[in-house]
Amino acid sequence: MNRTLQGLVMAAAMAAASLAVAQPIKIFGLVELSGTGAVSGTNFNDGVKLAVKEINASGGILGRQVDYQASDTQSQAPIAKALAQKAVDQGAYVVMGPVFSGSILVSMPETRKAEVTNFTGGEAASITQQGNPYIFRTSFTQAAAMPKVARYLHDTVKAKSVAIIFVNNDFGKGGSDAMVKALEPYGIKVAANISTDPGQVDFSSAVVKAKQSNADALFVYSNEEESARCLRELKKQGYDKPIVGETTLTSQKVIELAGDAANGAIAHVGLSADAPQPEVQKFSAAFQKEYHYKGDHNSLKGYSAMYFVKVMTERIGKVDTKALAAALHGATMTVKDNPGVLLDVSFDQNGDLDRVSYMTKVVDGKQAIIATLPAAHTK
Amino acid sequence: MSPAARNIALAIAILALATSAFFLQRSQVYLLSLCCVYVMATMGLNLTMGYAGQMSLGQAAFFGIGAYIDAILTTKLGVSFWVVIPIAAVACFFVGLALGFPALRVQHHYLAFATLGFNVLVYLVMRNEEALTGGTFGISNVPRPYLFTWSLDSERAYFWFTLAALVIVAILMRLLLRSPWGRAFAALRDNPIRAESLGINITAYTLLAFAIGAAYGGVGGVFYAGLVQYVEPSTFYFTTSLMMLLAVILGGSGRFFGPVIGTVIVILLPEVLRSSSSPALQFMQKWYLVAFGVALVVLMVWLPGGLLSIGDRRARKAAA
Repeated sequence: MNRTLQGLVMAAAMAAASLAVAQPIKIFGLVELSGTGAVSGTNFNDGVKLAVKEINASGGILGRQVDYQASDTQSQAPIAKALAQKAVDQGAYVVMGPVFSGSILVSMPETRKAEVTNFTGGEAASITQQGNPYIFRTSFTQAAAMPKVARYLHDTVKAKSVAIIFVNNDFGKGGSDAMVKALEPYGIKVAANISTDPGQVDFSSAVVKAKQSNADALFVYSNEEESARCLRELKKQGYDKPIVGETTLTSQKVIELAGDAANGAIAHVGLSADAPQPEVQKFSAAFQKEYHYKGDHNSLKGYSAMYFVKVMTERIGKVDTKALAAALHGATMTVKDNPGVLLDVSFDQNGDLDRVSYMTKVVDGKQAIIATLPAAHTK
Repeated sequence: MSPAARNIALAIAILALATSAFFLQRSQVYLLSLCCVYVMATMGLNLTMGYAGQMSLGQAAFFGIGAYIDAILTTKLGVSFWVVIPIAAVACFFVGLALGFPALRVQHHYLAFATLGFNVLVYLVMRNEEALTGGTFGISNVPRPYLFTWSLDSERAYFWFTLAALVIVAILMRLLLRSPWGRAFAALRDNPIRAESLGINITAYTLLAFAIGAAYGGVGGVFYAGLVQYVEPSTFYFTTSLMMLLAVILGGSGRFFGPVIGTVIVILLPEVLRSSSSPALQFMQKWYLVAFGVALVVLMVWLPGGLLSIGDRRARKAAA
């Protein structure tokens, strides 16, 4: 009798095991599909979906198909928490999102408790400062981008002092604070820290102040339209020192709006759907074709994150979320071997991500790459 | 139904609800707790609006004040949850008084705008006073309380705890409504002039109803912070006040169980709609918010007095 029972249990276990191999890999998206975060969340979600489609078409991960299920957090933190519990209880291999920093701060304790790898689009510094070994970013934060700009100002521009013009909202203030901190170790003085308002039209006094500060270079950090207005005013007043920015300053929108005045502007560019890399451009075209709108940096985040999962899972050779998280710490993925990651990337022990990025310059009304910046940890 | 039979039925229903936690998934239990928490706040709003007739669009502000008091006191100063509850209730009571004193000089939609302004103000304080409130990123890792030595960390334990607390505050509300104060509230809602001629101090009683409603919001907020373990300003924006108002009106404003029914529908119906797994309802996963909206419109047109007015409607039809 006992033997029969043992045999039955064995058979059942084997059946279950073979079933497990055939079963698709479950990945859950907790994304903002309605409410205030709908634009970011939809972009992120569509990015993941595009990657899943490509991965499944090319045979899946370790021969298993990916089953991606997205649920709407309604941009509400309490709902995000419930959905995270649901994802964990339904056996998620990886959880993607949420994108909103507020929501991820609520949902990540759930994935942490369950030891499930969780990628987020959130950029708040505190996300990766809690010692959570299961949380990973999909883009670098201002705190990671600014040291690269500072290094460029020190090594290439050889500036001893810098004037800063920034827009006083959470984006601009956060960036300006990070920049001031990043300049410190290089001994570069902040000659003037000039605050401007969101939507400001007249930049004449800001530019006058920047000129009077007599700094060796100017750092401009604002939204697209304001950046363009600032560039026009700089040209009008004949500013002749290097003008450096981050991501926005040399974006296509700014170049269009500022016209000739944009020529000569230099900026550090991390993740951007306009980036000139062939992989990114291929992604942008595929995204446009699939969803009939132009993806933004959040779609790049979702898309590349899904490929991080594929690459790392194949590297560890098994579908084990705990091992995946462990392997991601300190991992490096290159575009050469894995085109889907779009840009070379590496993760540190906190789950913060580091990528090679680019210094770009506007030449004849076009963004051109003038230098490739190594990731921050490779000094 | 006789009052005794009704009480027994109610007790059985509460017990059944508590037992259901054994059979539900963790996330479902969590959503039930979320309902309980919001019911505390909407119950307070029902007192202000349904019983005392004062339209308020600021209940989320009191809810938020309670939540932030809990988050700040427990994470930064290590104060016990049990001490926080009375602190939040009293604080919201007095903030309610302070707001009500000038605001209650106006009525109806003017009062609604005044309270809405207050809600936006509270939101801005939460967002901008970074040193105290953590700004846009809020305060995370708010601890859950202990009941003696029993940790309420699991969803099930916290649900029972919240449900028990809800039953207690509901009984207190019932007692209040049966007291002379409660009768005075209803009197000044139905006819303020007659109420005044009967010797009811209108200003004092309106203020009192408003402040007690605010205190209920604050207590709900404390339990919210413990449940979600995180507070951020956007949860307490005036859209949440609108949601609470919707819950009260939908269930039946001025009826004791109105906010309970309304809140359950507002919180749970979207989740039920989207998690329906039958193939016929698959499309709901994408359209659940639309279906929810349509359901609300239909309900309000059919039963303007709220769901609980369905009995009256039937009685009226039978009489006609």
